[in-house]
Amino acid sequence: MSELLVINNLHASIQGKEILRGVNLTIRAGEVHAIMGPNGAGKSTLSAVLTGNPQYEVTAGEVWLKGKNLLEMPPEQRAREGVFLSFQYPVEIPGVSMVNFMRTAVNEKRKYEGKEPLSATAFLKLMREKKQLLEMADKLNNRSVNEGFSGGEKKKNEIFQMAMLEPCLRILDETDSGLDIDALRIVAEGVNRLKTPDNASIVITHYQRLLDYIVPDYVHVLANGQIVKTGGKELALELEEKGYADFE
Amino acid sequence: MLTLNKGERQELVFINEPQLDLHIQQQEGSSLRVIVINSQFSILNSIEVHHVGTGCHTEIYALAYLKNKESVRTHTHVHHDVGGGTSKQVIKFVLDDEAQGEFLGELKILPNAQQVQAEQTNRNLLLSEKATMRTRPQLEIYADDVKASHGATTGQLDESALFYMQQRGIDAPTARRMLIQAFMQDIAEQISDEGKRNQLLQTIDGVVE
Repeated sequence: MSELLVINNLHASIQGKEILRGVNLTIRAGEVHAIMGPNGAGKSTLSAVLTGNPQYEVTAGEVWLKGKNLLEMPPEQRAREGVFLSFQYPVEIPGVSMVNFMRTAVNEKRKYEGKEPLSATAFLKLMREKKQLLEMADKLNNRSVNEGFSGGEKKKNEIFQMAMLEPCLRILDETDSGLDIDALRIVAEGVNRLKTPDNASIVITHYQRLLDYIVPDYVHVLANGQIVKTGGKELALELEEKGYADFE
Repeated sequence: MLTLNKGERQELVFINEPQLDLHIQQQEGSSLRVIVINSQFSILNSIEVHHVGTGCHTEIYALAYLKNKESVRTHTHVHHDVGGGTSKQVIKFVLDDEAQGEFLGELKILPNAQQVQAEQTNRNLLLSEKATMRTRPQLEIYADDVKASHGATTGQLDESALFYMQQRGIDAPTARRMLIQAFMQDIAEQISDEGKRNQLLQTIDGVVE
């Protein structure tokens, strides 16, 4: 299997405070990697740095996506290259409708790939198909992005957008937080059905619960800004039992 | 002085009117909607409305999108002289470069004007560090059985929304444009005349570059 993402000695800080202190991680196409760890270990910082959030500064290291230097790209280019983040806290955008938002995103990506924009009919058909996958209501199109959505609706909406954009690297940041068991099942099934041999997932979570549904090939423990332990899916169960005390 | 007769309904739309000085009197049960849009010139908009009959309804929507050193002052005077009426004001400014905005909103509810509902909202978006906004709500309420609310906020584009949009592959200038349009959209939607509404939407598209 080919290497999709290679992270070498990644250091990053926010407002002068170092959070990531030398992260090394290689992810191949088709794999699911879980990243677990205590609060404040740098889990969300890793997702922010990979997606180019301007609040964080990379102070050392490199990240390669399919052989391209990811850290040199602006956030939108990373997205068009196939990096997708399911946000822990999806942002509400009053006045921007879901249909306008998604059509712009899909067509900007197509333009980047040298494809023609989708016609209005083809686009709406695609929206309808993907909504069904997440069991979402039809009235979604004209609602403002995430505005007034419940916690569960917001997370479903993230995975819906993921379905629309078909990324190669899917980063799920605490996707299970705030979800009841039914929403969790729908979201996890959506993620699993969108899995292909060509994409890979990074599942960031504090709890083992989500990993019952999205089964990882590898589990990494991130503590104090470094990956301190790597194992198979059984490591998640061990962490659930023992907690993170050994790593703090 | 313009008078709305008993039960009359009027919608007045002013798009880039070089000077606006409105004095309107509303008689019983009349309904008025004023929409004022500015995207050029430096001017003063003055709008004065008196409810002289009971059960009148007034809506004032004003939007200014200004660049360079343009300056727009919007002054509203809504006087509930008698009771049972409602008024709603939504005033928005989008200020770029060194543009200046001013909103003065006088809302007066006289002592025997009971059971009035009045609402005044002023929201401003600053796109440049050199743009300035002055806002001065002035509520004078002399009746006790009324509902009056006002709110004024001035801020910048939401950085977290910008990043969210970029994370979905939308480049920064396009994301900014979409957010600015979203901020102005609800005013445009108030215009019931389709031709005028489209004219305004085009004006908005034209200025947001």
